[in-house]
Amino acid sequence: MSDVTVTNGAPGDVELAEYRQRVRSWLAANLERRTGPLRIAVGGPDLTKEDVDRQRGERRKLFDAGYTGIAWPKEYGGQGLSAEHQRIFTEESADYVLPVPGGIAGGVTQRIVAPTILVYGSERQKQEWIPRILSGEEIWVQFLSEPGAGSDLAGIRTRAVRDGDSWVLNGAKIWSSGAMAADSGICLARTDWEAPKHRGLTWFRVPTDAPGVTIRPIRQINGNAEFCEEFFDDVVIPPEDVFGEVNGGWPIANDMLAFERGAETENTVAPARPSPGPLAPDLVTLATSRGLEADSHARQRVARAHVNDFLHACLIRRVLAGIVTGKTAPFYASYIKLHAGAITPIRANIAMELGGTDAVGWDAADDDAAVPSTNYLNSRIIAIAGGSDQVQRNIISERVLGLPREPSYDSDKPFNEVLRDAERWGSTPPGGSSR
Amino acid sequence: MLTEVTGDRALWLETTSRFMETACPMSRVRELVDDERGFDEAWLRQGAELGWFSLLVDEAHGGGSVSGDGVVDAALLAYECGRHVQPGPLLPMSVVAAALGRVGSDEQRATVLPALLAGGTVAAWAPLDAHGRFDEEVGLSATPTAGGYRLDGVRGTVQDAHAASWLLVTAALDGAPTQFLVPKDAPGVTVRPRACLDLARRVADVRLEGVEVDTRTLVGAPGGAADELERQLEEALVLQCAETAGAINELFARTVQYTKDRIAFGRPIGSFQGLKHLMADVGLWVETATAGAHVAAEALQVDDPQAAPIVSSVKAYVGDVGVDVVQQCLQLHGGIGYTWEHDLHLFLRRVTTNRALYGDPAWHRERLWRLATSSAAVPA
Repeated sequence: MSDVTVTNGAPGDVELAEYRQRVRSWLAANLERRTGPLRIAVGGPDLTKEDVDRQRGERRKLFDAGYTGIAWPKEYGGQGLSAEHQRIFTEESADYVLPVPGGIAGGVTQRIVAPTILVYGSERQKQEWIPRILSGEEIWVQFLSEPGAGSDLAGIRTRAVRDGDSWVLNGAKIWSSGAMAADSGICLARTDWEAPKHRGLTWFRVPTDAPGVTIRPIRQINGNAEFCEEFFDDVVIPPEDVFGEVNGGWPIANDMLAFERGAETENTVAPARPSPGPLAPDLVTLATSRGLEADSHARQRVARAHVNDFLHACLIRRVLAGIVTGKTAPFYASYIKLHAGAITPIRANIAMELGGTDAVGWDAADDDAAVPSTNYLNSRIIAIAGGSDQVQRNIISERVLGLPREPSYDSDKPFNEVLRDAERWGSTPPGGSSR
Repeated sequence: MLTEVTGDRALWLETTSRFMETACPMSRVRELVDDERGFDEAWLRQGAELGWFSLLVDEAHGGGSVSGDGVVDAALLAYECGRHVQPGPLLPMSVVAAALGRVGSDEQRATVLPALLAGGTVAAWAPLDAHGRFDEEVGLSATPTAGGYRLDGVRGTVQDAHAASWLLVTAALDGAPTQFLVPKDAPGVTVRPRACLDLARRVADVRLEGVEVDTRTLVGAPGGAADELERQLEEALVLQCAETAGAINELFARTVQYTKDRIAFGRPIGSFQGLKHLMADVGLWVETATAGAHVAAEALQVDDPQAAPIVSSVKAYVGDVGVDVVQQCLQLHGGIGYTWEHDLHLFLRRVTTNRALYGDPAWHRERLWRLATSSAAVPA
């Protein structure tokens, strides 16, 4: 890529046209084209270690060719090019399968963890961690939710205690997508129990092979095991793996969650005007295979799913355009998450309705026949994981619409007292007289 | 906002919005409810001076827009019309002017078009049958005569037909769609006004009985109006969806403010989670509808070959959720939302009427299926 010059001004049309041509040729020569449409779907077969190793190799090719971290600084393994270059690559690669090692965990690594490190990491952490992530050498996941704290993330109870320069971690985390395949987790822990809940949290990097770390897969209703639970027993964390300020973890968590909802702007450019693609091809095939072409209810359902898919792309574009240009706050990304949480179960249910009895009883040897029920079982993941629909509605109503905040019983007092008062809930109402 | 605008375009939009607020504020919209014409002629001419009817017409024929992207500018204008629930024939005149600019005869472009662009003459667009269906030629026939054609049939729910001097109709000529620009005072044309849910809008049924027209009334080639009619439908839907987007953005903003101001149980009602979560959903519908309305306008702007499915998808969505939004905004207002004095019902009426006009959501979903399955090679 030595012939690409980075100038202080905006890149010229000729340079960008040449870049596009180069990207196009490289993609055609090196990557597989996507078969079938890009779908909002979560869940798939479990990855083996061999799968992940192969994906790492493919990712390395992309990294070596200079197509990762395109608009990220060179000193952290990026290419130091413009947002326009990134946009060109995003457009040109839309029809290709981009190698992201680790499946969902890889997505978490690239889309959520890496941008957070870029914003909050120390100079040394950025130089050391980000290139390994971009190249696919390392997969990082989030150690975030706990058995006792999901939507109320600031209520976590995993604790880290100072021991000289180091820290000792104890507790449990859950719902960590793809942690089995990960090399590291970025872990939120409580470091001050006397402080209010949001002011006693700190982030740590935890290698998955550190002594005292146990990771177990959790089997889900779809039979897969992509989520994991982790147990930390006296895990020693060296000072260089403290991420961000001690007790300053909450603002980082907020930004990380916004990245998860699609607000990652350093690496993202507002997508171009979306094109609708063919009418929900999977559903048309399903309806046709059951002879439902003449059934207007079936046609209406298929079209409804297509309309939702297309309008989702329109919404993503509107929200990201606002965030990228700084016109709207990153909280607007919650609209994208809430919409996905709304339409994904609807779409999955439409396929079940179209499939009728074939969707609930099928030839076990026919993998395709199991797709509607698999999608159906997976369809509420997106309405829960990464902040439930209800959490998104809180964020939208308070942060986007500016509606008054919920009365809080736990924001201002020491977290120790919060736990004590919660246990007495009901016998002593906290808000004075009852309505 | 339909989309962020800057420079001359922002200035033009700001001027347009201020003009609506002063020349036809809500108080005037209410006065016009009992007015036979339903809009002020001076308002129409002044709007025309702001370029309202020129946006979809190219410069060679007297049109043009401030940004050069006339379709998006027209959508921005329609959005403002929705925010201010403006009365009058913006949509039909825009569509007819665009049609004459594209396929009108030299004579039509020299006489009728300039009068439309200046807001001195009203033209109505009459694409629907007696039952409000957009089924191309059904319901009106053209029969060749010695001097031209004879038109027989009915066009239904024609917006602003009462005020129009010209009617753009589609008729079946040997089964093929053919468009005519019919003078409303031609013998055999009867306009029968209908009551309209939208108090700031006038609709009528137009009966054509043995109406004799000469060949100079043809718009485009005989039997060749299919593509042109499709374009007209797409333009009308872009304007309609942008208008609905403007209406629901304004009503939702007012509703959010109301729940911040209204006190019950010692709190602003907007602090209750039951209402906050509902408003988050309504906000989602408003944002998504607005995103779609913008994309539809852009698709038409660049003559996207996928414009038909894009516009139908957007109409299907905006039509449905537009009504969901106004219904929930009424619910959030409680009893006051049910009163005549409150502006809420003006928005509700506009949005609900828009859902039904020019193909309702179910019709557009059927059309999506038809477009998808007819373009694919289906073996017999």
